[in-house]
Amino acid sequence: MAVVVKRAELTWLDRTYVWPVLQGMSITFGHFIRNLFTPTAKRYTVQYPEMKSVIPDGYRGLHELKRFEDGAIKCVACFMCQEACPARCISIEAEEFSDLNITQGFEEKRPATFKIDMLRCIYCGMCEEACPKDAIWLRKDYELAAYDRLSMQYGKWDLMNTYDEVDGKERISQDPTPSVPRRTIAL
Amino acid sequence: MFITFALITLLGAIGMLLQKNVIVAGLCMVVAFFGVAGLFVLLANPVAAALQIIVYTGAIMVLVLFVIMMLNSHEEEKAQASHPVQKWVSLALVVAAAIGAVNLVVASPGLKALGIKGAEMPQAMTLQKVGTLLFADHVLGFEVAGLLLLAAMIGAVALTKRNL
Amino acid sequence: MDMLASLLHITPAVLWMVLKVVIVFGGVMSLAAIFTWVERRGSAMIQDRIGPNRAALFGKIRIIGLAQILADGIKMFFKEDLVPTDSNRNLFWLAPFLAFVPALLGFAVIPFGKSFSSGGATYHLSVLDPGNGMGMLYPLAIGGMAVYGVLVAAWSSNNKWSILGGMRASAAMVSYEIGMSLAVVSIFMTTGGYDPSEIISSQGGTFLGVLPNWNIFHQPLGFIVFFTCMFAETNRLPFDFAEGESEIVAGFNTEFGSMKFSLMALAEYSHMMTASALIATLYFGGWQVPFVQNPPVLLSVACFVLKLLFFAWVFVWIRWTLPRFRYDQLMALGWKRMLPLAMVNLVFHAWRMSQGH
Repeated sequence: MAVVVKRAELTWLDRTYVWPVLQGMSITFGHFIRNLFTPTAKRYTVQYPEMKSVIPDGYRGLHELKRFEDGAIKCVACFMCQEACPARCISIEAEEFSDLNITQGFEEKRPATFKIDMLRCIYCGMCEEACPKDAIWLRKDYELAAYDRLSMQYGKWDLMNTYDEVDGKERISQDPTPSVPRRTIAL
Repeated sequence: MFITFALITLLGAIGMLLQKNVIVAGLCMVVAFFGVAGLFVLLANPVAAALQIIVYTGAIMVLVLFVIMMLNSHEEEKAQASHPVQKWVSLALVVAAAIGAVNLVVASPGLKALGIKGAEMPQAMTLQKVGTLLFADHVLGFEVAGLLLLAAMIGAVALTKRNL
Repeated sequence: MDMLASLLHITPAVLWMVLKVVIVFGGVMSLAAIFTWVERRGSAMIQDRIGPNRAALFGKIRIIGLAQILADGIKMFFKEDLVPTDSNRNLFWLAPFLAFVPALLGFAVIPFGKSFSSGGATYHLSVLDPGNGMGMLYPLAIGGMAVYGVLVAAWSSNNKWSILGGMRASAAMVSYEIGMSLAVVSIFMTTGGYDPSEIISSQGGTFLGVLPNWNIFHQPLGFIVFFTCMFAETNRLPFDFAEGESEIVAGFNTEFGSMKFSLMALAEYSHMMTASALIATLYFGGWQVPFVQNPPVLLSVACFVLKLLFFAWVFVWIRWTLPRFRYDQLMALGWKRMLPLAMVNLVFHAWRMSQGH
């Protein structure tokens, strides 16, 4: 069935072209005047360095490596994130950190180095999905820029200290000596 | 002032003849037109100068350049080697024409009138005077020219538009 | 004036001439520069954006972004001046000047204030004194020259986009010149003179007792034609056929960079200034102040500048209101609407004059 599209009938006033032009000009002038008397801070534009827009929940920004209350890293160096990463930007080296036996309730692995190449990272959040320990989170920091490539290579301590100011945590640069078992493993 | 404008005109004209690039030659012609306009101003006829610029440089030369660009003749043509006889004949013709032109100017009554002391200086031409002259004294010539242009226009339209 | 002239060992007339040239060209140039900023800020406000407001003098004094003009100038100066390999170098070098000079020259005959006399001499506030015999023919002639800037720029860069843009723009300019000239001719007719000062002085007083005696109220049709043609002449939207990002990149100035480009841009804005000065002179009484007989000189200058700025702003305003025309629409409008309308206007006023009005 053919649909008959009804064309707008132009009145003689519209056909002169002058009157519609004047109407259009009144609209644009209205916008001009409205903006002229609105202070810059109240206009639609978010003036970036001074004003920042609210980042929604679920935003995938800069990574954080989570730690326990005593400051020890949650990561157990299982390499799941490294495997899941489609951009192959994560590189982990694992180490044993405790002489204590696993039967005594200690997990013995932790990353010696945990590097993320932020130039390669696509912020897809797959590492977050893959992590069995909830040790890596993508959070809201998006202001990532540097003058050279080397400073975009984030190491373990950089990642652990990413959100220390926001969360009110202290900066750490050394793994604390484990004292208590992380969790009990049913044998 | 006269020397300046005459030089501009002459250099423009010579440049037009010598340039192998058609567009540059056209621009040289514009320069020559400007020189002529300046000469008109010196002859106390600013109206003719303005019309010269409006009609010749503003419209005609633009259209000519337009057509040249449309035809896309960017390549510079190589001049054919001319026969020596051609050279001599052309030179002789140019000299004869120049002598004739100078003779004509020297013999003109206007120049003689200029030589007489206390003769009336020519009044500056204005648009009003041009209008009066065209529509009172030379109305027949004006109408004939108008008719001719109309015929030419109709002819041009008929030539370009096959099915009217 | 006389004292200053004797100090400089020149006659007062020469000094006055130099002063006028400096005032007019300096004024037009700086206005053109300012309007590059006005265009950007104005368009931003029309489109609910903010526009350039960040450039600051010494990193502190922002002055609502006016420093942007300086920043742009400095940037343009220090950019590399590229010349395409296969371009015609001489013409490529010449083209920005060909675009720029006519845009400024057109202003020369326009009186920007009332003539005044002091110390037995009359001083006219226009670079060319009235009664020079050229009158309004001069801006028309110079306006015709503006085509060459576009045409030469387009051809010399040896670029297909450039030449397409240049051809379109020059065809449009030549077509619209006819309608414009006819509209101006009917002004000449009703005024009985073609000198700008005559045209302005004939617009003093009131019309029907309530309106200023401006030509726009006598010839609204002529005004519409002239105004539209001015947009085509200055190559501004909705008729900017020299450029067009979507079809021919930047058109005639695709290959131009650094100062050459900025000269091209400045030429457009100075052309806009000249065009708005022409509109003000022909249709809005030039320096005539509405309802004021014999205004003081400074008031007349202020009034003229105000009108000039208003019409320059209208150029900006219309650019950010209307969409572009298509090329065939432009030509149809020029030849099938504007030219007949100008003719109708001319014949109507000729008839009215023959009836003894």
